[in-house]
Amino acid sequence: MRVIRISAIVTALGGWTTQALAAPPPLSVPINVDQATPDGQGYSGFLSDLSRTNFLLGNLFGIRTVLARYGISLAVQETSEVLGNATGGVHRGPTYDGLTQAIMQLDTQRAFGWYGGLLNISALQIHGRNLSTDNLLSLQTASGIEADRSTRLWEAWYDQRFLDEDRADIKIGQQSVDQEFIYSPNGAYFVNTMFGWPLVPSVDLPGGGPAYPLSDLGIRLRYRPINAIALLAGVFNGNPAPTSDGDPQRADRSGTSFPLNGGTLTFVELQYSYPAVGALVYPGDGAPLGHTYRVGFWYDSERFSDQRIDTGGNLLASPAGIGEPFHRRGDYSIYAVADQMVWRDSALPNRSVSVFGRIMGTPEADRNLADFSFNGGVVYHGPFRGRLTDTIGLGAGYAHVSHAVTAFDRDTAATQPDVYTPARTSETFVELTYQYQFHPWWQLQPDLQYVFNPGGGLANPVDPSRKVGSEFVLGLRTNILF
Amino acid sequence: MTNDSNACFAAKAERISTAGAGQHQRAGLATCVTASASSGAKVLRFFSRTALLAFCLLGGAAHADPSAGFLETVHRHATLTSTITDNGDVNPYAVVVSPVTAGKIAKDDVLVDNFNNISNLQGTGTTIVGFRPGTRDTYLFAKLPQHLPQCPGGIGLTTAMAVLKSGWVIVGSTPSRDGTTATKGDGCLVVLDSSGRFVTAWAGPNINDPWGNMGIDDHGASATLFVSMAGFGVPSPSVLDPATGLPVVVKKSIVLRLGLTIPDGKPPVLASQTIVGSGFAQRADRDNFLLGPTGIVLAPDGTLYVTDGLDNLIAAIPDALTRTTSAGTGRVVTQGGLLSWPLAMALSPQGHLLVCNGKDGRLVEVDPAAGKQIYAQWINNDQAQSPPGNGDLFGIAMTPDAKGFYYVMDDVNTLMRAGGR
Repeated sequence: MRVIRISAIVTALGGWTTQALAAPPPLSVPINVDQATPDGQGYSGFLSDLSRTNFLLGNLFGIRTVLARYGISLAVQETSEVLGNATGGVHRGPTYDGLTQAIMQLDTQRAFGWYGGLLNISALQIHGRNLSTDNLLSLQTASGIEADRSTRLWEAWYDQRFLDEDRADIKIGQQSVDQEFIYSPNGAYFVNTMFGWPLVPSVDLPGGGPAYPLSDLGIRLRYRPINAIALLAGVFNGNPAPTSDGDPQRADRSGTSFPLNGGTLTFVELQYSYPAVGALVYPGDGAPLGHTYRVGFWYDSERFSDQRIDTGGNLLASPAGIGEPFHRRGDYSIYAVADQMVWRDSALPNRSVSVFGRIMGTPEADRNLADFSFNGGVVYHGPFRGRLTDTIGLGAGYAHVSHAVTAFDRDTAATQPDVYTPARTSETFVELTYQYQFHPWWQLQPDLQYVFNPGGGLANPVDPSRKVGSEFVLGLRTNILF
Repeated sequence: MTNDSNACFAAKAERISTAGAGQHQRAGLATCVTASASSGAKVLRFFSRTALLAFCLLGGAAHADPSAGFLETVHRHATLTSTITDNGDVNPYAVVVSPVTAGKIAKDDVLVDNFNNISNLQGTGTTIVGFRPGTRDTYLFAKLPQHLPQCPGGIGLTTAMAVLKSGWVIVGSTPSRDGTTATKGDGCLVVLDSSGRFVTAWAGPNINDPWGNMGIDDHGASATLFVSMAGFGVPSPSVLDPATGLPVVVKKSIVLRLGLTIPDGKPPVLASQTIVGSGFAQRADRDNFLLGPTGIVLAPDGTLYVTDGLDNLIAAIPDALTRTTSAGTGRVVTQGGLLSWPLAMALSPQGHLLVCNGKDGRLVEVDPAAGKQIYAQWINNDQAQSPPGNGDLFGIAMTPDAKGFYYVMDDVNTLMRAGGR
């Protein structure tokens, strides 16, 4: 994520810092998945079979074995990338940024015989600079791991399954909702932030909402009335940051402020999946092409700043106004997400093509920077012979700036005719990415993005007579699982 | 929740698993529509009914098949326990139900072994977990050493496991040092007592990586076991067939019949070995270690059914208890269709074969007499794999009441029960 400099305008309005929150590359906790690693002997044993291991450090010098006795599993992953813009933006050139994730989970059944409990604690170490902040000023930021440099607690929750067939589970504690809500598994292969946590909640919710690298105290219930359908409902603190002013990450540098002083953020999502456990399939039914469809909404009861009107009823852009935005109570949005496999190789079923799309909007244009966003794309697993573990993806995203913000820009242009203030409208980007699995523990991911109308048509602060030019972004990401 | 919407739940639940009957399906849809039309204004009720109606419509295209099978009676899929042991072994393979109470084992206990160690290296798992359905207790039945002098290559426990009526446990080992066939050993069949203690191991020229689930004919004082051997001549997975770009296929796998005598109070003695099937396809695989014949079922008429995953078929070997020669690869019962790399297998009360797919999360029901695939049921739908459930299934065993079956889910290392309560 990061603070986009158009936030100077929003901050002037007294509203939330405008930001695009993200979701980092998915990280599996090793003990619960099939991932092979060598059983290294001694402290350097892991070096003997780096081509086979799923973890660079193998058994972590025996630490995994010790933890397993207590039902604990541990995963550590580094994501590093160099991204740069060859054209457009306010500056050109590359930047480096990186993220170290650590997740520890305790299975209560394995630890002390209590069925269905899972304790999860994760932490982040964020390093490097942010291309989107420094060079791009795009709404839909280029990388999902961009964030303020910090070492912080991310999630700390306990999940308990209950009811027959584990039809329900309840999760309590510090949660990052992007890990469960509005989620698209196919979108997770891309680098751009929007494929993780979409723009509408990123720029409209207080603090960008409880998404990477932030999280929120709350409670979430999942219930499966039938196997094909799951209902998720969660209530969280209305703001993941302890204050409404400034950069929410700086307001909670370690992620341990646990604010409960805001309103409430409610998420409800209905998921339909095929195939469902128990479903019957008949001869001739064709290839099993899995899909998941989700619809949902969120509502936040916090105060939201009007994007155009001040507390006196005047235009915020008017020199006669008092500059304090009118506050409105509550905000909401509805959304839909679809992930659909459309083809698989009959001989090598690991080769498959899936499409996905996410659409989200809010009618509350008066209090939001963005009132609509969409992203989608196509993902091809195993695109080349002999490269069954590689993935290629082509995606695109669109964000629409709310009419109130467009009107504010026009108001500003009218009241300050000597200052070039284009009316922001929308921003579009496309992304082409290829995830090459060099080893099971090491992926390399070249990435190309092109951003049209960055910031929705924002004036270039370096060349105030022109808009920020369209940007060609290229880079390389790597994931290393320790 | 009103009664009519509960009826909808019930009707839908039936439709999911009983879509073989077209009448049930239509009745379920009608009930759902009625329930939805009469819904009130309350939000929760609205959402639940809308969801159900949507599911009714989305699922309404399911086919009907008049053939009665076993899987349409299976409605419930419940997690029983984690199969991870305190040493971190993972990747559950064999699932067997004990016919006897002896030592650590109680009758109807479920035993599950692990093929991988904590580092998830294939061919290095050394543990067997026990689960007691009556109390829901999970216990460590056996933890073997990584190396045994009697077992060439070491220990990596496979789908080949049986509990005899006399309480002895026989389990196959297909060992590796680096998790691939490049370092595999010939393995052995390990004999454990009913307390999980090592007694002896059988190795020899006919025993080379005992792999698939066992067929068994147990009379107490004597028993006959059928095991597939999938390691003969299998090279490293880096040895590729230029035509396919995949590891080379070696058609040397066999099905071995083992004649055991079990003296009273003494360990079983391996009295005879007969190759009853041979020439089955096998090859190395980086993701799955080894592909070869994995499912074996001995039918009451003496026919032995074998899954041949690489050729995507089920074969029948006649007179398996008595024949003295190899039947080769036998007769093809069914091939392709719903099968997708068939693995372990069980026999339903109707005499149908229940076959776990390796390449998706479906269990296929086959009428072997008619050579007909009836239908398949999704028992693992993990969409992290492509297709869903790919690589997640392996072992299977019928429950003692024959109303359901036990199976394992590799993706989450759990023992499941389907059907009954």
